[in-house]
Amino acid sequence: MGLSTAVSGGGAGSSEAVRICVFDLRRGQQEGQELDKILYFYPPELAFSYQLSVIGLSEGLITFTRIFSPNAACEVIEAERHSHIFYQAEPDIWMVMVVEKNKELEAIWRIEALRSVLKEAHSLFMMFHGPIRPMLDKEPSGELLRTNLSTFFTDYLSDFSAGKKLQVPSFRDTLQEKGSVQMLTVGREAAIEVQSLVRVLESSAGNAQCHSLVLFHDLLVSTSLSPEDAVNLYTYAVLRMTPRALSSGTSSWSYLRKGSTAVQTTTSVSASEQPYASRDTSQTEDSKYLLPRPLKQSKWSKGKDGFLVTNAAAADVRNSISHPPTVWLQQSEERMYLCAYQHKYLTIIVLIPVASSNSAEQGISMAKQQILENASLKISKVEERLSKGWGGENAYHVTGYRYLLLDGDRSVSRASPPIKVTTLAKESLVAMCKVREEVDLEKSRAKWDDKGHEKDLEVCVRAKNNAWVIARVTRGKELYMVLEKGGETLLYASDAMEKFSNR
Amino acid sequence: MDSDSPNHPPPADDPTVSGSGAIAVVDGEVPNPSSIEANSVNGIGEKLESIQVNDTDSREVEDDGERTVIEESHVNGRSSDAAGSRVEENGVGEGKRGGSGGVRRVNSEVEVEAVGSPSSSGYAGERGSSGGGGLSTDEIEEEEEEGMGMGIGRTRRGGGFGNGVAALAEDLGEGWVPGKRDVNEDDASISWRKRKKHFFILSHSGKPIYSRYGDVHKLAGFSATLQAIISFVENGGDRVKLVRAGKHQVVFLVKGPIYLVCISCTEEPYESLRGQLELIYGQMILILTKSVNRCFEKNSKFDMTPLLGGTDTVFSSLIHSFSWNPATFLHAYTCLPLAYPTRQAAGAVLQEVADSGVLFAILMCKHKVVSLVGAQKASLHPDDMLLLSNFVMSSESFRTSESFSPICLPRYNPMAFLYAYVHYLDGETYLMLLTTSSDAFYHLKECRIRIESVLLKSNVLSEVHRSMFDGGMHVEDLPLDPSPRSGSLSPHLGQHSPETFRDAYAGIGGHSGLWHFIYRSIYLDQYASSEFSSPINTSQQQKRLYRAYQKIYASMHDRGSGTHKTQFRRDEHYVLLCWVTQDFELYAAFDPLADKALAIKTCNRVCQWVKDVENEMFLLGASPFSW
Repeated sequence: MGLSTAVSGGGAGSSEAVRICVFDLRRGQQEGQELDKILYFYPPELAFSYQLSVIGLSEGLITFTRIFSPNAACEVIEAERHSHIFYQAEPDIWMVMVVEKNKELEAIWRIEALRSVLKEAHSLFMMFHGPIRPMLDKEPSGELLRTNLSTFFTDYLSDFSAGKKLQVPSFRDTLQEKGSVQMLTVGREAAIEVQSLVRVLESSAGNAQCHSLVLFHDLLVSTSLSPEDAVNLYTYAVLRMTPRALSSGTSSWSYLRKGSTAVQTTTSVSASEQPYASRDTSQTEDSKYLLPRPLKQSKWSKGKDGFLVTNAAAADVRNSISHPPTVWLQQSEERMYLCAYQHKYLTIIVLIPVASSNSAEQGISMAKQQILENASLKISKVEERLSKGWGGENAYHVTGYRYLLLDGDRSVSRASPPIKVTTLAKESLVAMCKVREEVDLEKSRAKWDDKGHEKDLEVCVRAKNNAWVIARVTRGKELYMVLEKGGETLLYASDAMEKFSNR
Repeated sequence: MDSDSPNHPPPADDPTVSGSGAIAVVDGEVPNPSSIEANSVNGIGEKLESIQVNDTDSREVEDDGERTVIEESHVNGRSSDAAGSRVEENGVGEGKRGGSGGVRRVNSEVEVEAVGSPSSSGYAGERGSSGGGGLSTDEIEEEEEEGMGMGIGRTRRGGGFGNGVAALAEDLGEGWVPGKRDVNEDDASISWRKRKKHFFILSHSGKPIYSRYGDVHKLAGFSATLQAIISFVENGGDRVKLVRAGKHQVVFLVKGPIYLVCISCTEEPYESLRGQLELIYGQMILILTKSVNRCFEKNSKFDMTPLLGGTDTVFSSLIHSFSWNPATFLHAYTCLPLAYPTRQAAGAVLQEVADSGVLFAILMCKHKVVSLVGAQKASLHPDDMLLLSNFVMSSESFRTSESFSPICLPRYNPMAFLYAYVHYLDGETYLMLLTTSSDAFYHLKECRIRIESVLLKSNVLSEVHRSMFDGGMHVEDLPLDPSPRSGSLSPHLGQHSPETFRDAYAGIGGHSGLWHFIYRSIYLDQYASSEFSSPINTSQQQKRLYRAYQKIYASMHDRGSGTHKTQFRRDEHYVLLCWVTQDFELYAAFDPLADKALAIKTCNRVCQWVKDVENEMFLLGASPFSW
């Protein structure tokens, strides 16, 4: 079968509009061994010839673009019917997402938003499994890695499923930012109480240095982690551990899919059952630390003592019972046990160094006991105070504005409540999406210019539907807003922006 | 080229670098699209590797190849046919080209032999050069006696390449030469790779046709790589448009059997680069017509380079205009500022000739239109005007004597040639008379003589000179008082002499920090821009401002969300304000510290000002153009 038939056949054979692949440029360089490059491909049922053609094109363009741009190889291919988004996750380890431009699906998106999906997937994978390259060095066949990637993506992508297809972030999600945390604003007194709680939490494993992450609803209250690790753990907590995540049994980062996401993708799960089932044979020393299928839906539930426990669901039995879940921190390159406690809307995650105790059981139960004994009072006090000051789901709504505020340096964002953003007209959102794309380009150019100074930029657009679409970048902070009732003049719009900025 | 050059991109341990796929390309024997499929996944990879192993042997092969092709085309008698007869053999231009000879088929070897010709007849003459010696006016007149119609063609038949080539040499020497091309460069050279903006034209079989930098024949391997990328994506049922890597963008445009590619790190938006490729393709069509496609139908490996031989300066001047001429992205033309009666006078005499069977009569000064008249129902697209004037201005030979040249207006009719009678009235002002008839030379010549004498008598030409000297609108002259003005631009044009604010604002631009503006009239398809003034003094600053305009234009005219109405944009270089209404588009640049409210006020004033002087800035009431 020629490649061309494989390409069109493979493409047409699947109704899936999204493809994701992970491949290693250092592998499969001998003729006939090309399959060895592929570490993961979604949807997995696609013919190998098709998979190879996607990777072949990617590889070809990475090589080609390096002729002119040796420091930054291919980032995106825009074709008439597809966009190919590249992300070099680790040296020579590439992730590529191919999305179909289907008008019916409102396929207007920001390339950076799609790339942030790949980034997030890689970061979360690393958090549970560690970096890919060392795994390949350790196990050159790559079998374990492929298994892990396969189950990981199956679970990760289930959050994106809409019906039988994956739905990637579109223009409708333009006023939110993946890879950032949303903070809860707390008063001075509450802050002091939280601080005192954190001190207790972080000493709950004796001498070992623990880390903590405190969330109220889906907002971050406090953490001692580095911004990168904080983002990853926060993302995971919001996906699977906060009260909302627990109650819905599923989670979605997109407000669009709230309610509709309960529809699990049976196809994608079953497709990967097989590699997962074959796991027993590939058990290695390392796997005892792994949290099997950390992103499986309904992974966690709340125990009677307030601690969250991983469900002993079918496939997980062997590992999860005997080994508490662990995460790998990027900053300290250290493995930590993950211990989570929930009181009403307060979720507390304590990370205990694996190295600190001889037995996992022992270390964890000691810490749990410490928390119950020393911290439970403080926890309920903090919860009470935060609840009192809590303005509800729409706490950060500002009347008349639809906004996203980003602090790139600290990976922190604040945005209009999703439910409010849905009131915007499609035209406004599309215009905002395009403006963000322009800002993304300016930012990336500034990065390559490497002049050391950050780009300051202000853009106010009056779109066709008379909405004002505003972007302002100052000293690494970005503000995006849409004003649909912004009045006629540019001055009105910029006054409105000034007022907002001064808040 | 040294294949071991250290800047080769792929890792040295890449075992496939020495893959066999490379050899095919080095030979200049470009694999056809289907062979790439067969190459499996590594198809492109191997093509890419070939870039690295591109060696000197290929040159020889290339040179031979070219020579052969040229001889063939000669044998084909492409242009040795009598005038007016169809030249079917080469399929170019449906034979209409016969009138002024075939396609210029000069290669570099010949160029070198050529020594300055005594007289050259303009571009067309050169292209039809296989025939006559230089088509000086005298010679044409001689021919006239011999027999109408056939005359011009016969001239061509007489001689060899010689004179035409000489004219070409002149083109290269005196025309606009960017001074950037280094024929020793190829894709292995670091300098070549560091060029900010490459343009390539290649055929669907991967044969190079044009490259802005380097020796096009040495780029066969590279060209094959581009072809491989395009056809690889095509085989997947898709069409590649853009590849982005760091600051670089690779933009692809497929036009039937012709592929165009731009590789750029100039930060221009995709839409702009794509528009530029469209214009380059249009320029090619202007020279050859779209019927060149037939050559590829007959022989997919057809080598087009000889057909475009010697047109290098046309393309390089067009590419140069992408960084200074707003017409290239506004899709509008601009007029030379002239007092209304002056332009009327010019228009009247042009109208006379249009009534006598001329399709279009255009009087231009550099890239600015003095006046323009079209036969009934004939419309001329601004892009066609841009390409035509670029073609005329970039070919030095048009300046030396009157010429009659086949040209194709891609937006008017991409399949057929028109005939352009071109004559420079002075150093910068030229008249173009377009007709469908290949034997209208003498008629058009008479028309020109009549037009020229009227223009001289009515002082139009001296007014043109004055306008060129004085320039158009200066931001320093923006009227500050809101009272309606009777509409005069500058003292030299007007009835009265307004006070000038130039002194007060010397060196800081105009009022409220206004530095520059462009006003585009939507109905007229014309734009007017202010003269560059301090602080936009250097060409570097002008280019940057031009690019900023280009960017905001693309941002305003987004195809996904429809045209925006207003945009305010402030960065470290400018405040840009753009305002689009049903009637006009205004683009204005201010000092980056400019006050927003004042800037808006100033924009309103600018619009009022332009309306006040529109009689002078625009060509009004011309025959109805229906584009």
